[in-house]
Amino acid sequence: MQSQSPFAILIKVVLLGAIDAVAVWAGIELVLSANYSMLAVLVVGTGLLNALVLSKKAYPFRYMAPALVFLFGMVVYPILYTGYVSLTNLQTGNLLPKHMVIETFENRFVLAEDAEQFTYSAFVDEGDGMALVLESETTGERLLYENGDTGPLDMDDPRLTLDDEGTVTGLLGYEPANKYAISSRLDALSIPFGDYVLRHSLFKFSKNTKQYSFDESSDTLTDLTTGAVYSPIEGTFTSEDGTELEPGFQAWIGFRNFGVLFSNAALRKDFGRVFAWTIVWSLFSVFLSFSLGLGLALLLNDRKLRARVIYRTLLIVPYVMPVFISALVWRGMFNTQFGIINRLFNDLFGVTFRWLDTPMLARGVLIFINVWLSFPYMMLISLGALQSIPGQLYEAARVDGAGMFRRFSKVTLPLLMISLAPLLIGSFAFAFNNFTLIYLVTAGRPAVLGAASPAGATDILISWTYRIAFQGGSGNQLGLASAVSILIFVMIGTMSAIGFRFTKRLEEVYK
Amino acid sequence: MKRILALGLIIVIVGIAAVAQDVTLTIYADDTRAPLLTTLGEAYTAVTGVAIEIVEFPWNDIRPNFITATQAGEGPDIIIWAHDAVGELVANGLIAPMELGGRAADFSSSALSAFTVGDTVYGMPYGTENLSLVYNKEIVPQAPRTWDEVLAIMRAQYDPDVPSYGLAFQNTAGNFFQFFPMISAAGGYIFGFNEDGSYNPCDVGLANEGAVFGATLYQDMIEEGILPTGVDWDTLNALVAGKNVAMVITGPWLLSAIQDAGWDYGIARIPAIKGPDGTYNQPLAFIGVQGFMVSAFSDNKTVAMDFLLNYVATTEVMADMANAGNRIPTFIPAIDLAPADLAYFADQAAFGLPMPSIPEMDQVWQEGGNAIDLINNGTDAATALQQAYDLIIAAIGCE
Repeated sequence: MQSQSPFAILIKVVLLGAIDAVAVWAGIELVLSANYSMLAVLVVGTGLLNALVLSKKAYPFRYMAPALVFLFGMVVYPILYTGYVSLTNLQTGNLLPKHMVIETFENRFVLAEDAEQFTYSAFVDEGDGMALVLESETTGERLLYENGDTGPLDMDDPRLTLDDEGTVTGLLGYEPANKYAISSRLDALSIPFGDYVLRHSLFKFSKNTKQYSFDESSDTLTDLTTGAVYSPIEGTFTSEDGTELEPGFQAWIGFRNFGVLFSNAALRKDFGRVFAWTIVWSLFSVFLSFSLGLGLALLLNDRKLRARVIYRTLLIVPYVMPVFISALVWRGMFNTQFGIINRLFNDLFGVTFRWLDTPMLARGVLIFINVWLSFPYMMLISLGALQSIPGQLYEAARVDGAGMFRRFSKVTLPLLMISLAPLLIGSFAFAFNNFTLIYLVTAGRPAVLGAASPAGATDILISWTYRIAFQGGSGNQLGLASAVSILIFVMIGTMSAIGFRFTKRLEEVYK
Repeated sequence: MKRILALGLIIVIVGIAAVAQDVTLTIYADDTRAPLLTTLGEAYTAVTGVAIEIVEFPWNDIRPNFITATQAGEGPDIIIWAHDAVGELVANGLIAPMELGGRAADFSSSALSAFTVGDTVYGMPYGTENLSLVYNKEIVPQAPRTWDEVLAIMRAQYDPDVPSYGLAFQNTAGNFFQFFPMISAAGGYIFGFNEDGSYNPCDVGLANEGAVFGATLYQDMIEEGILPTGVDWDTLNALVAGKNVAMVITGPWLLSAIQDAGWDYGIARIPAIKGPDGTYNQPLAFIGVQGFMVSAFSDNKTVAMDFLLNYVATTEVMADMANAGNRIPTFIPAIDLAPADLAYFADQAAFGLPMPSIPEMDQVWQEGGNAIDLINNGTDAATALQQAYDLIIAAIGCE
């Protein structure tokens, strides 16, 4: 490092130290919860960050660090995670990871037939030790549990303090414990008692048998009451005769989700219809809003127009209002019974339309609302781009005898496209994924005859994915939805790549 | 050197904070129930020293948040939700059996059976709700007993310019719940039963003659124009607030809006519908039961059940909980303390069935809702219901 002021070095040390401390703490938590993939990511990330600051060669790149961190955390990691989920069968019934499901089964106990129960007195010492004196309600048998060892209670044990009725009130070396404070420790105990275990519930211990046992070496779950052996097959513990245990767990199924998408004919039809509507929706939204925006920009560019500032301010309002508010207001305005649009139509023409309930009308309404929301943005960027066209080009064109339309199509439009084409492609990609508007106004509905999945008439790819994820099958179908997301990602990526090549060709106009 | 010391200090401080933990009970509740639980929680903490943390969510967010949080290991100990989630939560292994023991006799058996999967009870119910007919006595002095009377009132009241309608109920795509009574009257049903009383998800009765009859009646009303379509929650509230409708088929959740609008209201059974064979059949309504459920991954199950059974399951608290949301209490000693109105909902509840809670029910909500949409848009009722039936069977995977 070059020589720096002590203050700068101090700031660097404190910041890096703080980041490293947080990373160490997070690392400990991740190790405790056995999340090794996140741990690897954390270690690599922190290591790179430290290298960036401390190494001489990487130092000039330090200002890129925040952007790279966010790029990784919010773009690359979600893509990788979605890809991973699309190769699993994550859905209702297979939601939890395998170790949690095994834990559930190992924590299942069956009450013994005689339902023998034990009352207890609990004692704790200064450290982590715990002792319990248990007394059976049926046989009067007394047990002493101390730090993992259980045995019959020896009434002659010198450490015991007994009261007149023979109840144990004290144990040397221990203090009586508050049952509430230690209840979670008691819940976790399994005290062996002959062929049974004693489990804690509702402040008593009861005799239970453990129902399942998981054998790690053979990777099987055995039902101790019936003797049936269950092996994990594709996310469910299945016995030899085919009985499946509930719940299942997440399991790797490879490319089956993608296979379902391509092989199921009805799903393919849904996909085709939704895809076609998404393309139409994006194209029309961008084209119509750009035409309107450019037209208004050309009008506002005219020096002779008075009060231009006022018009410009008023026209920007749709862009400035939050989409959530304006979308919901528009939905109310298009309401069949009470909407103001229908009231107007009824008074003027005597006819009403079911705007949001008929498929074609709903699509038209959505495009209309999206154009209303986006045209100010197009107007602003067109205004900006128009300023960059030199006036002499127009003069030269006028001298050469070009009329207004020719001037527009040969001078204005090509030069505008150089600067605006990337923005238009960006708008197209944004409209392609505009989940908010679709969901707020119609939620993808109205329904379509012949649909095999939750795909309505106004569903775009992303809202269809959302509905599969949270409203499909018997609850959630996250694996299938992730597969659809990956497909959407590939499609938009390809379209954007093609789009950018196209804009590169446009740049040659200037050269 | 200094950096290493600073690092060490930070680690030590964080470590101490992580280890020092009290027993805390976390409860997910919605904004209606949360205040009651907070006061109760304070009383519990004073007696036992266990801290109770109430996390408030909007009602519809409780289930997805519970599932996500539990998957991540950060789930609550108790949640409040409706019984129709029980099937999905048990299929995912997320909730623990509720140990009511002798206390089970204090709860109405139908409410308990709503929370039962197989032989195990998975929740502690506090309130039930079901649809009924709520009518404005100023316009309709006597509750109609048959659907023919209903049609007469609808035709008399219909005026699109005001607008004024005789009857309204939510009939947008997500409202199969409100559509079910009409389908059920002449013999439609959702799932048939196995011999042992459990649901047979492959026996779907949504497209049988009775269901088609009910749906055709609905379609005729729409085509005639006397029943408004596209009525969602907001539209229904608007119709009620402006007294633009004489009768509503709704549940107790709309009562506060009806009272605010100043209706002189009465509550009655949904009127009987004359079937194709000439007999009058009482439409069935879904019953929704709400209750407490304990997470399977909770470390504090004993304390959670102690809180629920000894502090929440008392007459005053159960009456308050049910009353806060205008539900009928399921705790038998608390039923006498319920407001008189709600007793009229019980009239229809006698002709009700709990919403099936098996995970396959999701498909029914989905496709049944779509069928309403299609009928609203002019598709023939029989075709729409048949499509719903085909898609449900395909999605469940029956052969």
